[in-house]
Amino acid sequence: MSITSDLIRGHTETIILAHLMHGDSYGYKINKAIQQKTNHAYELKEATLYTAFRRLEDAGCISSYWGDENTGARRRYYAITPLGRQTYATLKADWQSAKAIIDRLIEEEETGHA
Amino acid sequence: MHDRLRTYIDELFASAPATKRTVELKEEILQNLTDKYEDLISEGKTPDAAYNIAIAGIGDIGGLIDDLKRKGGSPDMDQAEMARHRQRSALFVSIAVALYILCVVPCILLSVPLGPVLMFVMIAAATALLIYNAKTKPIYTRMDDTMVEEFKEWQHNQRQGNQLFKAISSAIWAITVALYILVSFYTSAWHITWIIFPIAGAITSVVKAIFDLKR
Repeated sequence: MSITSDLIRGHTETIILAHLMHGDSYGYKINKAIQQKTNHAYELKEATLYTAFRRLEDAGCISSYWGDENTGARRRYYAITPLGRQTYATLKADWQSAKAIIDRLIEEEETGHA
Repeated sequence: MHDRLRTYIDELFASAPATKRTVELKEEILQNLTDKYEDLISEGKTPDAAYNIAIAGIGDIGGLIDDLKRKGGSPDMDQAEMARHRQRSALFVSIAVALYILCVVPCILLSVPLGPVLMFVMIAAATALLIYNAKTKPIYTRMDDTMVEEFKEWQHNQRQGNQLFKAISSAIWAITVALYILVSFYTSAWHITWIIFPIAGAITSVVKAIFDLKR
């Protein structure tokens, strides 16, 4: 599990950007969506999540604003920028090619031993 | 429970700088934890269990605090520039005041058409100097991102508008007095020339109204 979460943590920013492609969202909602998609197998630490938000914001990939809910809960919403959309496409393509390479390498090792 | 979570977050961020950024990040994480806590309660967890699970999910925030320190404590490079502006501003004001004082000299020394004309030129130059000085004053740059600095910036911007108005109104009154004396001596119509003062008062009010509208 810990190796899996390390692997996933390296792609936190891609995951956040992917989530924001559908529309603006806030920290807990994103984390909950991740939990639901993974059947509660994976969940981001707040520290990881907010570090990624700050990094993406500094890079100009996302922008943030404070929503004004009537319920009294003030939430900071995040929105993806055009640059963020570009970055998302690049990161996704990077992952696809890395995945293809790793798949092939792992495959060869197994057949080599057999 | 909200208080318990808040206390925990306050302790967690104790070493972070007291900036607006820090307050916002704490607020954000606290809201996140509260949402999570309420979800866990609705799933049937006991308050203590829900609190512990919520707290355990925070992780290591050392990196976030470092980030806050890096962004918060950026030294201000414009201090030297501010000092230079202050010097220049003092020079302009002194020249303007000197011009105001000396503007009667041409009237005393020279004949009637030339003397008053020179006097008005000097008054105009002094007023222009004061207005230019007020307009080119650098906007207050924040020392850091704290709320105190933000207030200072706001206060500074408010005051800057007032200073410009003061400069203009003092010029209006100086010109009014000069005009009153000049016209009165010329025409000897002392019984009616006082009308200049209410007119000047009206003009000042109009200027003030324009200022308030702009703001």
